[in-house]
Amino acid sequence: MRKKSKWLALLLVLGLVLAACGDGEGGDTTTTAAGAEEPTTTAGEEEMTTTTAGEEEMAEIATDVGVDLEAQTITIGLLSDLSGPFAPLVQVINSGHEIYWANVNANGGINGLQVNLEVRDTGYVVDTHVQLYEELKSQVVAFGHSTGSPHTVAINPQLQADGILAIPLTWYSGWSDPAINANLVPHGVPYCIEAMNMIEYLTLEAPDATTIAIASSPGDYGEDSNAGARLAAEELGLEIVYDGTGLVNAADEATLAEVASGIAGSGAELVWVTTSPTPFGSIYGQALAAGFTGALWSGAGPTWNPALVGPDSPINEALASNFYVSAYYAPWGADSAGNQEVRELVEAAGAPPLDYYAEGVIEAKIMEQALRAAYDAGDMTQAGVLAAAKSLESVTFEGLAPDETYVGEPNDRVQRAQFISRPDPAGLADGTSTGVTLVESMYTSPIAEAYEFTETCFSLG
Amino acid sequence: MTGHFVVLAQEAAVSNEFAQTLVDGISFGAIYALLAMGFVIIFKSTSVINFAHGGLTGLGAFLVAAFVTVLDFPGRYLTVLPEWGQWTLNVLTALLAAALIGVILERVFLRPMVGEALFAVAIVTLGLDIVVRTITNDWIGTNPRPLGAPWGLNVVDLGWVRIAWSEIVQILVTVALLAAIALFLRSRTGVAMRATAFDQETARAQGINVGRIFSVAWAIGAFLAGVAGIFFSVFPRRATGVDQATAFIAFRAFPAVIIGGLDSIPGAVVGGFAVGIAEAAANTYLGLEFLGSGFPGIVGYLLMLVILLIRPYGLFGTPEIRRV
Amino acid sequence: MRGRPLLHTSYESDQALLNTTAKRVMLGIFILILVSIPFQVVPGLEFLGEEDWLRLLSTTAIFAIGALGLNILTGLAGQVSLGHSFFMGIGAYTAVWLGGPVGGPFIGLGLPIWIWLPAAGIVAALVGVAVGPTAVRVRGLYLAIVTLGLVFIGEYLFRNWNSLTGGAQVGRDFPRLQVRLWDEEAPLIDFTTSGSWFGLDLSGTAKSFFFLVLLAVGFTLLAKNLQRTRVGRAFMSIRDRDIAAEIMGVNEFAYKLLAFGISSFYAGIAGALLASFVSRVIPERWDLFLSVQFIAIILIGGAGTVTGTLLGSAFVVLLPRVVQNFTLWLQGVAAQGEGILSSIANVFVATSSNDFGLINTFAGVGPGLSVAQLNLVLYGLLIIGFLIFEPLGLYGIWLRVRNYWKGWPFTY
Repeated sequence: MRKKSKWLALLLVLGLVLAACGDGEGGDTTTTAAGAEEPTTTAGEEEMTTTTAGEEEMAEIATDVGVDLEAQTITIGLLSDLSGPFAPLVQVINSGHEIYWANVNANGGINGLQVNLEVRDTGYVVDTHVQLYEELKSQVVAFGHSTGSPHTVAINPQLQADGILAIPLTWYSGWSDPAINANLVPHGVPYCIEAMNMIEYLTLEAPDATTIAIASSPGDYGEDSNAGARLAAEELGLEIVYDGTGLVNAADEATLAEVASGIAGSGAELVWVTTSPTPFGSIYGQALAAGFTGALWSGAGPTWNPALVGPDSPINEALASNFYVSAYYAPWGADSAGNQEVRELVEAAGAPPLDYYAEGVIEAKIMEQALRAAYDAGDMTQAGVLAAAKSLESVTFEGLAPDETYVGEPNDRVQRAQFISRPDPAGLADGTSTGVTLVESMYTSPIAEAYEFTETCFSLG
Repeated sequence: MTGHFVVLAQEAAVSNEFAQTLVDGISFGAIYALLAMGFVIIFKSTSVINFAHGGLTGLGAFLVAAFVTVLDFPGRYLTVLPEWGQWTLNVLTALLAAALIGVILERVFLRPMVGEALFAVAIVTLGLDIVVRTITNDWIGTNPRPLGAPWGLNVVDLGWVRIAWSEIVQILVTVALLAAIALFLRSRTGVAMRATAFDQETARAQGINVGRIFSVAWAIGAFLAGVAGIFFSVFPRRATGVDQATAFIAFRAFPAVIIGGLDSIPGAVVGGFAVGIAEAAANTYLGLEFLGSGFPGIVGYLLMLVILLIRPYGLFGTPEIRRV
Repeated sequence: MRGRPLLHTSYESDQALLNTTAKRVMLGIFILILVSIPFQVVPGLEFLGEEDWLRLLSTTAIFAIGALGLNILTGLAGQVSLGHSFFMGIGAYTAVWLGGPVGGPFIGLGLPIWIWLPAAGIVAALVGVAVGPTAVRVRGLYLAIVTLGLVFIGEYLFRNWNSLTGGAQVGRDFPRLQVRLWDEEAPLIDFTTSGSWFGLDLSGTAKSFFFLVLLAVGFTLLAKNLQRTRVGRAFMSIRDRDIAAEIMGVNEFAYKLLAFGISSFYAGIAGALLASFVSRVIPERWDLFLSVQFIAIILIGGAGTVTGTLLGSAFVVLLPRVVQNFTLWLQGVAAQGEGILSSIANVFVATSSNDFGLINTFAGVGPGLSVAQLNLVLYGLLIIGFLIFEPLGLYGIWLRVRNYWKGWPFTY
């Protein structure tokens, strides 16, 4: 016994020492930070570059954190949920980032600077998110994405104090509110406007509908989306016969049963449920078994997961008949230059076809534009990259997603266009599609168009 | 549970809410009864409080999903059988695999702890739960895995009550397993297990291979946990299959164990059904505004606290005789 | 006495907390190192002064306070409790009730820290004492499950009490670590923003580090002292043989209640500090896993010992970061491509989404544990490992090492 624990103790100490020594000294890979960063304000420093445009004088580029002109690297941080409720999406989004940046790097990088990613798994826990933000903020020049609304709200004051840019990986309408978004560049239609678009579209598909049931998870995601649903119902003259906003708790299936029976019992003709895919599947299945058919269902983008219409899923046929998939970007098989680019990149990397790579590519493109603009302005400090991002007038994605702009009035630049699809279980089963068929591209409903956006639809307080 | 139905215009009304609640409660209670029974069998035979029961539940359900949808073993070789026959065989194979893993876990992690303080052993199972649950969740992945149950979403509507086919199967299987366990406890190994539960040292002195009894107890516990896991991963609990949250259902079964008494197998069954019916009743009759959401989830624990105040060893547990 | 440190000639010197020179010297060095960390003067330990490590060390201090409480309850008094996170939550929400901003969407009274911090502990202690009678009626493993129930009931309460906690998944902001006299605009002492103390420039993180370490040291003293008082001895007698203790005149009921009360006090303070330090917490934070972390701390550190608890807190809080660094380092080695070490590392770690590895930080399309899952598995394995091989925990290992060197060159 004694011998065992002596060796155990030695091993532990060795392991701890090794690990502590490993702080930031990882080898040169495409995804780890390359050693410590030093502030370099250079005057008259010569750099050798490998850009296709020939040699360039990087003498006047100011840098502080995350950009190393000597090693020719830029470091971008990703605060991702790789093990929590949205892990399926975010894991693929991260792959999208990697694939896109690898391609950019192979084609000369940002004027010769290679972009590296520092990925951290927050597990969708707020304090881990804050902790990892603190850890990364002295290693990266900006955050390629920050997953989760309460999480991003938690680091927002610090982002402002530190003057760092972050792209939120959530579609909370607060990111378009100038009172909140000084350090954030949103993309894609916010939840509440998405709800308006989709519900109006549902009324086009079912013109005689007069009643709607809504439900959601608690928190910004669900509340923001349902705030939009309520606005839409008011504009369209729909009666809300069941309101389960904030009741869906993925960990407690009694709440799922409660919501399902509430929806089924209300007899609504339209249903809007915003949550994560697994509880949605349960709610839909239970309502279905209660005999609730004939209504049209939809929900915010992250509610959908192609696995819901997988070959063994008991609800695949039903979903195919009455569910409408909402998305912020075009699905895999869509016909556009942007999609073609994504397909080529992903196939070249040998990865399977999935819709979510597009999100990673979109985020990466925004960051790329910001970095290039910062480079052109000669200021690649954290503040410089932030200012560059906030001055982008037009970021285009060639059909993959609607164009974004970050200057101008909130009402003018808030995104209102989105994509609508129908589930495609047959295509998923035989591999010809990623589980959806696109029916509407760059769709904006009249009520969303007319909506006056001046502040966030739902305040987290 | 299928939830309660309010009388309304568009659909078939359930005329007897009380009966529906009862049916829901019994079918949900069946899952808890299975979990509680497995737990108590392990406790009685090995004196181990098994906090890893949740992990075993998730593991069992995952193995079933794997054997049915991915491996289709041994169903694919026995195409002479109808679909549901193949499915049943796959399920049984998966459950046997789960039982085997239970035996291995006991041998590796719990055998060295024989004779140690009960608290320490309980914490070892807590650590084991974390390990088993995390690795199982990693295999499950982020998408739920359907179990391909042959009865699908079908529901029997008797007018006064509504019961899903899966609930019928649940109750039948639970009753069958209860009978099987009762018979088993009269068999040679069963009697040996009862002897070991009563007094380990004396049983050993009588020539009973206590180590083998431990393995059998864990095998049975893991098997029952797996069955409970299956029923928890199909309609109407979850229409989509086993996912990373499946393992946590076992925590709702602990009150059932305590209510019945830690060392009473019939008590565990009674406790399981009691908690199931209590939850169903809370769902139907206590849907009050101020109670918020998720109240039925803690009803079991509240019931447990109340019963402990009256009978500190549970309804059927034997009071501990403590000597200085 | 020179050369005979274990020869005590008075009761006071025997009972002193630092009764050997070695202990005094070690404590002195430890305190010196602690104080110097933000200034990064100790060679080899400069990295500890960086912002994120300072945050980790501050979190260690907070967890240490909580763990000391659980140590008193479980290690000293022998009462198994899985409900520690519940009491931490109570402390945190008391703090925010008293210290949160007035008006606005949530409950708050705007009181200063010198009210809400002690109140957090006191209210949690009162709840602990209220829970006591039910807990005291049951013993051993029944108690573990009763306290387990507390966690779930607490989670339900916190999730639904929106006006206090902010509601499920959302949470709310917590009052910061700032000292005010009443409710002035500018705080008297501000532990969260950078500034200058006694001529030294310190960041906000460094300031809160000092504050939290100071609190942790204070609570450690209290806990260490408890062991040698009458109450502490009563606890230990209840842990060892409670019937015998009762016969000897130790009021089992009263002392068990006291144990719950004291440990809940510590938990409440720790909860309030944790929420304040992280600044925003969702109600789901106070879950079973948090309780398990504390159990892990006292078991890995060594149940019943204060030093062990401190070692355990450091171990458990720093483990994820250490594992992460280790994984990154392994990735670096694996990516180099040549050499035996590189190939071995490649088996263990994946270097990109398509590569295989037991640990897979890309956790996307390939198998393998993510870093978060690896942490969890290590927690579990460590709990199991320490209980099977070294029940005295890290403190036990330290004892063995110390005794080895004490008797060196003799083996026993």
